[in-house]
Amino acid sequence: MGRSSTRAFLLFIAAAVILVLISLGQYSSSSFGIKFVREGYFVFERIITAPFTLIGHIWRDYVFLVNAREENTDLKKRLDEMRVQGMILEELRSENKRFRTMLDFKETHKEFTLYPASLLTQDITLIYKTAVVDKGSRSRFFIDMPIVNPDGVVGKVVGVSFNTSQILLITDPNSAIPALIESTRIKGIVKGTGGESVSLEYVRSSEDIHIGDKVITSGLLGIFPKGLAIGYVRDIRKDEHKIFADILLTPCVDMQRIEGIFGIGRDVATTD
Amino acid sequence: MWRLQTSLFGILFLIIFMEVSIIPFIWSDLRVNFFIGMIIGLIIYIPFSQGFPFVILAALVLQAFSGARIGLIPLIYIIVFLSLDVIKSLLYFENVYTQIALGFFYYIAIIGISLTFTGAAGLEEKIPYLLIGAMLTGAISPAMVYIVSRLQKIYES
Repeated sequence: MGRSSTRAFLLFIAAAVILVLISLGQYSSSSFGIKFVREGYFVFERIITAPFTLIGHIWRDYVFLVNAREENTDLKKRLDEMRVQGMILEELRSENKRFRTMLDFKETHKEFTLYPASLLTQDITLIYKTAVVDKGSRSRFFIDMPIVNPDGVVGKVVGVSFNTSQILLITDPNSAIPALIESTRIKGIVKGTGGESVSLEYVRSSEDIHIGDKVITSGLLGIFPKGLAIGYVRDIRKDEHKIFADILLTPCVDMQRIEGIFGIGRDVATTD
Repeated sequence: MWRLQTSLFGILFLIIFMEVSIIPFIWSDLRVNFFIGMIIGLIIYIPFSQGFPFVILAALVLQAFSGARIGLIPLIYIIVFLSLDVIKSLLYFENVYTQIALGFFYYIAIIGISLTFTGAAGLEEKIPYLLIGAMLTGAISPAMVYIVSRLQKIYES
């Protein structure tokens, strides 16, 4: 076989192969052995590029890690800042709520001249229940001034200086307030026990009293205006040998959570 | 003498701040008595002629932060000071454990004396707080004694 005939044979084979491949259709070639070629190329490509990829990964990850560390520190700092800001906002929100409640209370009690104050200190002993507020005679606070908050009676002023006032809380053993049961108008004296509760004294055992009855100020003695909430009857003990019942009240005001209070001015009618 | 007294009053105002503002703000029903430890320190390190006037004046200051009958707080602390002065010959006050025990005991004793004068009835529910307060007072007493001893050494030198 001559040289020219060999070339013609190879051309013929090539043309035949092309013709067969063209006749297989657009995508059928992948199902043929071509896919092995592709796989082979893939492996080849990976082997060739692996060192470069590896270097690329190391470089990129290292740079990324350095950046990530810095970014992480920065984010943590920002997160801490946000948390602190969140706490401040939460405090501001609760303070806003408290002021709003106090404002509402002031709006609904326009008959009173109310002087706001905030708690400064609590009693140094565990037995006595007094507190010092940040308003004194300069802010028109005076001895025996009734002290309330939106929930009810807190106590009364027992000592005044120029910028501070000492308040005797209703839970103090020395506190006594003329009171009456709102529903039945039964009168008594609310006295502090030194604990969390207060007692309603001088109420006859024969009187009709129920758990949950609301006790309000009676306005007698002229210190507290009439109708301010003091507490709710929590416990009643009647003894047939005793003239008076032992009645315990839960104060309307949570004395452990007092923050803002109001002093009621002098120009208030205390009794009917 | 005046420098020592001024320093003692400075410490007194710090402990008042702790007792009436910080601690009640953290835990409303808890009271820790820092002053007992200070008195123990005064008994050990400061002469009676300087310690006793300080205790009287300090107790008058403390009275301003209590609803107790006027004079009761000074009376209580004078009793505490004098009784400690009497028993200092019987007990070794420099011992830390003695100071802790004295702090604990006197905290309870002060509550007892106050109760005698007041007749408060609702204290049963406060017994846990009372015990925690007494333990913390006992724990803080050696620290207060140490502060007084440091002051005494500073002004002595």
